[in-house]
Amino acid sequence: MRVLVVEDYPPIRKAVAKGLREAGFAVDATGDGEEGLWYATGNDYDVVILDLMLPGLDGLAILKRMRADGRSTHVLIITAKDAVSDRVKGLDYGADDYLVKPFALEELLARVRALARRAYCVKTPCLEIGDLRIETARRRVWIESEEVSLTGREYALLEYLAMRKGEVVSRTEIWEHMYEFSSEADSNVVDVYVGYLRRKIDRPHRPPLIRTLRGKGYSLGVSE
Amino acid sequence: MMISIRTRLLLWMMCGMALLLIVFAVVVYEVLSRSLLDGFDEVLLASARTISASVEKDDAGIKFEMDERQAPEFYRTIKPDYFQLWSEDGTILARSPGLANSGMEQFSGLPDVPVFRAVRLPDGRAGRAVGLVFTPKADEDAKTVVTSKQVSLVVARETDPLDSTGHFIRWLLVAATAGTLVLALLAGSVAVRQGLRPLDALAARIAAVRQDDLSARILAERMPAELIPVIGRLNDLLRRLDDAFRRERAFTADAAHELRTPLAGLLCTLEVTLSQPRTGDDYREATTECLEVTQRMQAVVESLLALARYESGQTALHPEALDVRELIETAWRPLDDKARSRGIEFDPRLPANLKCTADRDVAQMIVGALLANAAEYTNDGGRIEISGIDSAKSMELTITNTGCSLGEEDVEHVFDRFWRGDRSRTHTGIHCGLGLALAQRSASALGGSISACIADERFSVRLILPV
Repeated sequence: MRVLVVEDYPPIRKAVAKGLREAGFAVDATGDGEEGLWYATGNDYDVVILDLMLPGLDGLAILKRMRADGRSTHVLIITAKDAVSDRVKGLDYGADDYLVKPFALEELLARVRALARRAYCVKTPCLEIGDLRIETARRRVWIESEEVSLTGREYALLEYLAMRKGEVVSRTEIWEHMYEFSSEADSNVVDVYVGYLRRKIDRPHRPPLIRTLRGKGYSLGVSE
Repeated sequence: MMISIRTRLLLWMMCGMALLLIVFAVVVYEVLSRSLLDGFDEVLLASARTISASVEKDDAGIKFEMDERQAPEFYRTIKPDYFQLWSEDGTILARSPGLANSGMEQFSGLPDVPVFRAVRLPDGRAGRAVGLVFTPKADEDAKTVVTSKQVSLVVARETDPLDSTGHFIRWLLVAATAGTLVLALLAGSVAVRQGLRPLDALAARIAAVRQDDLSARILAERMPAELIPVIGRLNDLLRRLDDAFRRERAFTADAAHELRTPLAGLLCTLEVTLSQPRTGDDYREATTECLEVTQRMQAVVESLLALARYESGQTALHPEALDVRELIETAWRPLDDKARSRGIEFDPRLPANLKCTADRDVAQMIVGALLANAAEYTNDGGRIEISGIDSAKSMELTITNTGCSLGEEDVEHVFDRFWRGDRSRTHTGIHCGLGLALAQRSASALGGSISACIADERFSVRLILPV
C-alpha cells in the first residue's frame, strides 16, 4: 500500500511518515503544495493524506485538481480547522475522510488502513483466500491455521495481491504500490519477493496460491 | 440604606411644600391677628374717648359725670370692662364700679397719644388696656379758666374673645396646611409614579439584552429626552463589552487554532517514538524535535498573551528616550548567526544618534519582531537594509528585505493574525503573521504605526515612533 503525505509542518510530516512506514506502508511525503499535486497526479497512491493550509497551493486546490484529473484516490484531510463548515467543504470537494489536529496517530493509521481497503472494495479487515487468512489490522498471516512470519515487504506484497485477489496484477503495479518514490529498487525486485513469499505460503500438497502469468504479471487466488 | 428615586422625589417635594405652607400660614396668622388686635384696640380707644368726653373741669376742679347708659360695658356685673381716672397729682378721680376696692396700674404716654398694653384684669382675666393722658374740656358754665390740669385714664377690657378667635384661626391654618400636605402627597406620588414609568420601561429593555448576544442595543424610541443620554451611555458600554468579548473569543479561537498544529506534531512524534523500542539516538532525535515544538508553542502562547494584553490595554507603558541603533543591535544579535550561515547581508544605515521615545520592552519587542520577520523571509544570499529618518515629531525606521514572493495584493494581509502568505516558508513551518500583527498593535499602543509595502520582490516595513 502506498500513501502520499502532504503536510507542511515538519514534525507532523516526519512523524506521520515514520508511523505509516512502520505500519507497512510505502510513504512519499512533501511539505509543498505544488510538489504534492505533482506527486498525487503522477503516481497511483492508495491513500493521500492532505493538510489544508499549505504554502504554494492549498489542500483544497490539490484535491480539486486531482478530482478534475479523474483520480479517484482516497483522500484523508488533516487540518486544524474544525468548524463544521470546513469539514463539509472538504468532504464536498471530494475528500473521503477528515481528521482534526491534534489527532492520535493510532486513529490516523486505522483510518488510512480503512481507506486503503476501500480502494479495493474490501470492507472486512480480515482477508480469506482458500486456507490463507490475513488480518490487516495486526498484519498477521495464517496458512491452514498456522501463523506465518513475513517481513514487511513480503507482507506488503501479499496484502496487495490479496486485496486484488483473482485479478492479474502487473509487476509495475506491484512495484508502484510497494515502493516509495525515492526507492532505488527496480521492478525486478518484485520477482524476488514473489519468490520469497511463495516459499513461505505455498504447501506441497495443494496448488500454489500465487500464479505467474508470463508477460502479464501475477495473480493470487484459487485457480478454477 | 437604599432610597428609591420615587421616595427621594416625594420626600423633597413634601419638605419644600411643608416649608412653604408653614411660612405662608405664619404670615397669614400674623397679619390676621394684627388686624384683629387693631380692631380691638380701636374699640377700646373709643370706650376711652367716651369716658374722656365725660370728664370736665370747672372752677371747683375736675368733674366726672357718666351715665350708665352711655357706657353699659363698665356697669354690667358679669365680666365688666374697667376704667380708672387719675388727676395730675395721682389721686384717683374715678373708677369703674367693677374695680370696687382694687385698683389698676397707671400708665400713659404723651398727651393725647394712647398707649396699649396687655394686662391682667383685677378679677384675674387676661385683658388689654389703653392708657391716655388728656386735658379735660372746660365746663361751659365755668367762669374762670382753671389752670390746664391733665387727667390720665386707663381703660381695660378682657381679651378672651380675641384669643379664642386667634385660636380658631391658628387651628384653621394648621388643619388647612396638614390637609394640603396630605393631598399633595397623594397627588405627588401619583405624579412621580407616572413620571418614573419610563425608567421601568428602560429596565425592561435592558433586561431584554441577553448575555450571549451583546450586539443587541437598547432602543431609544418613545423614551423621554432625559433618558436618551442614559441609553446612549448604556449602548456605548454594551458596544465596548461586545468588543472586549469579541476580542476574547477571537483570542481563544486563534490560540486554539494556532496551537493545534504544533500539538498534533508533538502527539504524532511521541506516539511514533513510543510505538516500538528504539535506539538511544532515535529517542534523542525525537526528544529534540519535541523540545523545539514546545519552544515554538511557548513563543506562540506568549505572543498571543502579549497581543491580548495590548488590545485590552492591560499593559502599563513606561516611555523613555531610546537609542534606535542599540535597539536594532540587540534585536539582531540572536539572528546574526543564522543569517550569516544563509549568506544574508545585514546593512543598517542609520543617521547618528537616532532616538525615539517609547517603552523599552515594547519597542525592543517590535524591532525584534520586524527583524525576525525580515531574517525569516529573506532569500538565501539576500539582503536586509535598514534606513532611518529623524524628524521633529517622529522617528521613521524602514526595514527592507529581498526575496519577497508575496504579491502586491497581499500587503493588506500581512498584519492579520495567523495569516500565512509565505510561499517560500521552509524553516519553521509554524511561523505566522502573529509577529507582525503583534508589532503593529504594539506600535499603535506606543503612539506610533507600522505600514508595509511590497515592490520588486522587496518587502518593506516602516515603523514610525514618537521622538
